[in-house]
Amino acid sequence: MTSQAPGRPPVATEDITTWHRLHPLSPLVRTGRHLATIGTVLILLLFVSHSQAGGDLVIDSIIVGLVLIGGVISWLVTRWQVADGVLRIETGLIRRESRRFPLSQVQAIDVVQTGLARVLGLAELRLRMAGADSSGGRLASLPLADAEALRQRLLSMAHASGAASAAVAPGPGAVQSPGAASAAAPPAGAGGRVLFRVRSQRLAGAIILSRTGALAAVVIAAAVAVVLATGHPGTIVPFLPFGIGFVLAVWRRFNGEFGTVVATAPEGLRLRSGLVQTTAETIRPGRVQAVRIVEPLVWRAFGWCRLEVDVAGPRQRRENQSESQRLRALIPVGSRAEAEQLTGELLSTQRRPTRRPPPRARWKTLLSYHFLAFDSDDRYVVASRGRVCRETTWVPLEKVQSVRWVQGPYQRRLDLATVFLDVAGRRVRAAIEDRDAAEAGEILGRLPDLARAARTRGRAGAGRAG
Amino acid sequence: MATIAEPDPPAGPGSPAGPAPLADPGPPGEPGDAGIQWQRPSRLLLRARRIQAALVAVPAALAGGLIVGLLASAGLGLITALGLVIIGLLCERFLARRVAAWGFAERRDDLMVRRGVMIRRLSVIPYGRMQFIDVTAGPVERSLGLATLRMHTAAAASDARIPGLDRAAAAKLRDQLAALGEAQAAGL
Repeated sequence: MTSQAPGRPPVATEDITTWHRLHPLSPLVRTGRHLATIGTVLILLLFVSHSQAGGDLVIDSIIVGLVLIGGVISWLVTRWQVADGVLRIETGLIRRESRRFPLSQVQAIDVVQTGLARVLGLAELRLRMAGADSSGGRLASLPLADAEALRQRLLSMAHASGAASAAVAPGPGAVQSPGAASAAAPPAGAGGRVLFRVRSQRLAGAIILSRTGALAAVVIAAAVAVVLATGHPGTIVPFLPFGIGFVLAVWRRFNGEFGTVVATAPEGLRLRSGLVQTTAETIRPGRVQAVRIVEPLVWRAFGWCRLEVDVAGPRQRRENQSESQRLRALIPVGSRAEAEQLTGELLSTQRRPTRRPPPRARWKTLLSYHFLAFDSDDRYVVASRGRVCRETTWVPLEKVQSVRWVQGPYQRRLDLATVFLDVAGRRVRAAIEDRDAAEAGEILGRLPDLARAARTRGRAGAGRAG
Repeated sequence: MATIAEPDPPAGPGSPAGPAPLADPGPPGEPGDAGIQWQRPSRLLLRARRIQAALVAVPAALAGGLIVGLLASAGLGLITALGLVIIGLLCERFLARRVAAWGFAERRDDLMVRRGVMIRRLSVIPYGRMQFIDVTAGPVERSLGLATLRMHTAAAASDARIPGLDRAAAAKLRDQLAALGEAQAAGL
């Protein structure tokens, strides 16, 4: 074991090439969420049924104790160092694990603070790598100031080593330049022009009017109705976990998207959001794989929409699954004008899908025909689809990974075909749906060449810039 | 069902390069690929697929027949087993067309793969977008000296595989594609 300074994490000026431990309070932060959940459930159970609470309490406190002890052990055996441009994290008591993160491969570094971490002044450092399935490195938790300083140092090291290996790396744009984003700094003073700031009331309204919110409202209403009808609050206890789940989903969404601020920064767009847990990240326009505007039915009545971007590399393992399924929302809810302004910032086109599929496609797409459309120029393809919720997706041709032409039996009857454009990641693709078969064939014949031309142009542009 | 799935009359390329062991169902009927030299998987692929179908159908028929026979009556069990075997045979008829639908073409900058009878698919994968290439062979394929080539891009949806290649041909194609991919590699 190398010399360690338990509880004394490195400051920016300190040597980071030796082994370091995380902050001693990190097990508390890590398990804090689970502890809170267990505690809430415990109190609720106590409140509802007083009878066999005693035995349960003992078992539950044993579980809580075990979780905490596990956290402490995990903290004891975890250490990290930065040497030769590589961040190494060693962890694990029984199954020892040593992970290496070459800083030249780092796409971005986020500073994330959960609610408890904010109270304790701690923060988590998340490294985003380019690989499709490897999860990035996490350093949880460090004192906030140290996390910020370390982020800056790692990013500058990443930049230096990235520039050195730019000839090998796929384009000089491979390395995310250091963003000065600071989770602690006030959003307005972060520098750069503020492009968008979400309105809290509108966000709350939008979430209530969204599917998640509507479901939660229905569940709560049903629970209240049952209690009123039967007069026994105990009858809904078995369904309580579901109810809590729905309410939590709404809360997480509000928590994650509250106070979203998008501002320009030297290296792209800076995005900050969060009420209790805050995240700060930088999005480089050159790394955007797709841009999507989503307009659910009810939101359309208010002229609201949601703007999402897909960036290369895997999403960080989020606290909950549903959040990681969604794309990063630059605009959780905003007006069309705001969305269009931001799309203009991200893409160099204002093209809207205008080319409609042939009328006979109505026979196949009874419920979604009204939104089907696409358009393309020599840099972007834009396609819209949806039954009640319109999704408009822009895909830069430069980023297209493969083009697929698909024709099902019913489409063949109607002489139609669909062309898909796949981009990196598993969530987004642009679908040029139900075109005339001849037109689809022509699109398929033309798109690969257009995409290649766009790639060549993109490389040349990047070469000039580098 | 069969009438819908009936392939269009061959319209595009005359004869594919090399020996054409299987009847060519023609290109998937869109004009963009006229004049493309489609290459076909080995003729052994059909045999591999038949063996695989038999390996599923026969045990399924046995198990189904046995269960129904024990639970109901022996006659009913026999009928069930026969029914399952007939379903397997019907699938076998479909197999030939499915196998015949596979094809791939190496173009200057990208690889085209077509497949499917009911749902026809045609993928275009630029060489520069290939992240890595797998060559796999299951037990049935291995016993016939076949292998499946699979190309991976950064997009999870772009599913491009070529089954039933001669093992030597698969290795050769893999090296060829890898070299082309390296030459044209593009970043994310």
